[in-house]
Amino acid sequence: MRVKVLYFAAARDAADSRGETFVLPDRSSVGDLSAEICRAHPAMKAMSRSVRFSVNLELVETARALRESDVVGVLPPVAGG
Amino acid sequence: MWACSRPWRVGRMRGIQMITRRPIDPAVVLASVSDDSAGGTVMFLGTVRNRSHGKAVAGLEYDVYREMAEKSMQAIEQSVRKRWRVKKVAMVHRYGALKVGEVSVAVAVSSEHRADAFRACRYAIDTIKGSLPLWKRERLEGGVESWVKGTRIRR
Repeated sequence: MRVKVLYFAAARDAADSRGETFVLPDRSSVGDLSAEICRAHPAMKAMSRSVRFSVNLELVETARALRESDVVGVLPPVAGG
Repeated sequence: MWACSRPWRVGRMRGIQMITRRPIDPAVVLASVSDDSAGGTVMFLGTVRNRSHGKAVAGLEYDVYREMAEKSMQAIEQSVRKRWRVKKVAMVHRYGALKVGEVSVAVAVSSEHRADAFRACRYAIDTIKGSLPLWKRERLEGGVESWVKGTRIRR
């Protein structure tokens, strides 16, 4: 299946990309995707523990199963206000 | 200013909630929560400070996951309404490049009595800080830039 990944802030710097598509085996989880992202962009490893993920605009845990065409946000620690 | 190009209709059902690149006009945010049944209105404005950890700041650059942040604002309003009796809730957050002194975030709440407006406004800005997908990059005088250390995003 294919999922779209969006990078923000420090994650965008680490991936050197605003977003890209990953092709994953069926029944992959967000955690599996996270491992793939770190393989593709070693600079992401340093922040992988502080990052959280969204799927289709909703904050999720890494156990969350992915589906075809999901949009995943890679969200470093936030600092709004 | 978006405030001027989009005239505000008094008597609108809801306060403004948006993520915008354009300057925030506090008067427009305030007007959007006006309600004849309200006896009190509280507004919070966050502005870009000229110093950070003892260093002179030239400006900030905000990055945002806009669709998700606007959805989070709706969730914050729902959660405010579960806790306090409020009339209208407005939340506006800017992104892009901001200069020292500019408004980065505005929250306004109207309620029948002031206590609910004060508490709800405080809760809304605190929740915005921890749960909206927004990031700020500091530009210090002298050219150094870095992402401000944040907190793990929560619901």
